[in-house]
Amino acid sequence: MTYRADVLIIGAGASGGVAARHLAEHGFDVVCLEQGDWPDRSAFPGARPDWELAIRKDWAMSPNVRNRPEDYPVVHDDSDIEPLMYNAVGGSMIIYAGTWPRMLPSDFRVRTMDGVADDWPIAHSDLVPYYNAIDQQIGVSGLAGDPAYPPHDDYPLPPLPLGAAGRRVAEGHNRLGWHWWPEPNAILSAPYDGRRPCVQRGVCTSGCAEGAKASTDLTHWPKATAAGARLITGARVSRITIDPRGLATGAVWLDRSGVEHHQEADVVILAANAIGTARLLLLSADDRHCPDGLANSSGLVGRRLMMHPFSVVTGWWDDQVEGWQGHFGASITSYQFYETDPDREFVRGAKWALSPVGGPLNHILPMRAGNEVWGRDHHELMGRTFGRGASWAIFGEDLPEEPNRVDLDPVRTDSHGIPAPRVSYRISDHSRRLMAFQEARAEESLRASGCRETAVASMIPYSGWHLMGTARMGNDSASSVVNSRQQAHDVPNLYIADASVFVTSSGVNPTCTITALALRTADLLVQHRSEQKVPA
Amino acid sequence: MTTPTSPAPTADIDIHRLTALADVMLPAAHGMPAVSEVKAVESYLPQVLGWRKDLHQPLVRAVDALDPSLFSIDRLSALHEEDEDAYVALTTAVAACYYLSPVVRELIGYPGQAAKTYDPFAYTEWVAEGLLDPVVDRGPIWREVPG
Ligand SMILES: Cc1cc2nc3c(=O)[nH]c(=O)nc-3n(C[C@H](O)[C@H](O)[C@H](O)COP(=O)(O)OP(=O)(O)OC[C@H]3O[C@@H](n4cnc5c(N)ncnc54)[C@H](O)[C@@H]3O)c2cc1C
Ligand code: SF4
Repeated sequence: MTYRADVLIIGAGASGGVAARHLAEHGFDVVCLEQGDWPDRSAFPGARPDWELAIRKDWAMSPNVRNRPEDYPVVHDDSDIEPLMYNAVGGSMIIYAGTWPRMLPSDFRVRTMDGVADDWPIAHSDLVPYYNAIDQQIGVSGLAGDPAYPPHDDYPLPPLPLGAAGRRVAEGHNRLGWHWWPEPNAILSAPYDGRRPCVQRGVCTSGCAEGAKASTDLTHWPKATAAGARLITGARVSRITIDPRGLATGAVWLDRSGVEHHQEADVVILAANAIGTARLLLLSADDRHCPDGLANSSGLVGRRLMMHPFSVVTGWWDDQVEGWQGHFGASITSYQFYETDPDREFVRGAKWALSPVGGPLNHILPMRAGNEVWGRDHHELMGRTFGRGASWAIFGEDLPEEPNRVDLDPVRTDSHGIPAPRVSYRISDHSRRLMAFQEARAEESLRASGCRETAVASMIPYSGWHLMGTARMGNDSASSVVNSRQQAHDVPNLYIADASVFVTSSGVNPTCTITALALRTADLLVQHRSEQKVPA
Repeated sequence: MTTPTSPAPTADIDIHRLTALADVMLPAAHGMPAVSEVKAVESYLPQVLGWRKDLHQPLVRAVDALDPSLFSIDRLSALHEEDEDAYVALTTAVAACYYLSPVVRELIGYPGQAAKTYDPFAYTEWVAEGLLDPVVDRGPIWREVPG
């Protein structure tokens, strides 16, 4: 006899973990299918001598470089930015940096405020209770009172250390009269919920062996499974199934040895990130009901991909600041140039986050700013820069454009033979103007902070860590894929919990908002349980 | 997945030849030793290739392709154009061996990615000192939205 769950969640990352815990704790029978495994923290490379070698191969941010069996290739020949992600319980949070900013009120109203793109069908105020709840679940370290934000609840933990570089840049911004604030991070500054605090090792983007950096394998899945959720790992979903009425009935999945299974459910929630979710909707095309892909009557599935153009501006002081050390999220942030200024040649803006620069290999074989230098000059360069720098990581708001998209590659497949997603994406002229302005200001910032030398790595390709927009939210089914509850217009028992639903990208790191939205979606599902349409 | 691994056999790589190439890439200068002076290649190459097996074959190609007596930084750049994988393997392996040397780490002041302790409430000192006051005093910078 086949077993039917109340809710099937596809993907056990940030959004999947949050939704699963809430639904299981509210009495839903939840099954989650995740293509990756539980992460083994003892295998994380950060404390090992080969750390900087590992992050260039087996622990690369790119699934194409890692090429593990649980990874699927992302074809990006026609993209200015390479998509980056991690496939495991905890999802891309296993390798994320952990910066945890909320979006701002204007981020939800860019059409009204700035005449570009579209407004969201929800407002910042709709998310505030969920932001507050998620901060508690995650264990966020930060300081309330940032004048870049409307007032909100205090964070559960004190801010992480500023470090020598953060302190200098804070003073530099005070001299300039520019905004700065300690960055909120999903990283523990003190023991919390049975987890240990950050030890400032600075290896966050290859996994936090200490467990100080939040990821849902730590913060949500143990509680979800304790509440009865079933998490099946090594389970790669190949398509969502539908009944003659057009309702989702579950999903077909393949186990590690390629054996096909079907999981039935009353409700299906996609939480596979903005590339994985778009891919699955397109893979679920059905000649009779949805020839162009499931939930795609608007034609927008896969379109409007946003990835945040990303630049790094590094400054070097004359003396040591232990620039390899410290949490990689960010010590301080600046929103000085975040909101629209009508005197500029662009609208919207960017968020800045101050990060460490890495170890010796990162200096001489740079993945971010800098050039390779060999011969005698190599030592001169290392002597001048090593341990003396910090980088402003600049995330520019990426406005949605329909040609920037995910579709299915006609040739390449994953290890199960399922078509790989193909990404076509161009950084717009608008983004280029926005980023050029921000880069120049960031150099000013670092000079004012005492740096003797600065360098700009402009719009680096290896930076597609924020994946958004491929199944946008909206009130009109002709111009959006899901409604404001993240329920597919075309398939009322199909929900999307991840950042596919983002209408616009904001200029901040998205995961705080992704998880707040996932919690809201799950909460509304609980509230509207009795009205939910389900298959016969 | 990379886990602590045993050293890889390197019999198919001419260590002397690779060291000679590495000495051109990282010679003695500015108070730093050459690769050969700290025996970086012979000491660490097996371990580096144990960790990064994917570098092995392209490194063999690089060592075969480059004549130490004619080698220069320009020739290294040319290798980048001719065979990118070989270039990446050579630069990565040489740099990794060199910066694993305790002598070199000591000289650049790098203890590795070390764990540190700190007082999570130390922030109260810089708050009390007034570091954030100018930011707070300028008032809100977010924009109110209609509706
Ligand atoms: C290097 C890096 C640094 C980052 N830093 C930050 C940061 O500092 N702050 C921030 O806010 N964000 C950051 N991010 C982004 C953040 O990690 C993501 O926004 C977040 O994890 C997305 O959550 P998600 O639930 O949408 O998807 P994910 O967390 O990516 O989870 C999706 C899950 O779905 C699974 N899946 C996909 N397809 C299938 C399938 N067909 N079958 C079964 N399972 C499937 C995947 O295996 C994966 O585990 C970073 C990302 C990276 C890569
Ligand atoms: S710096 Fe902190 S959060 Fe980052 S990996 Fe180390 S302990 Fe974890």
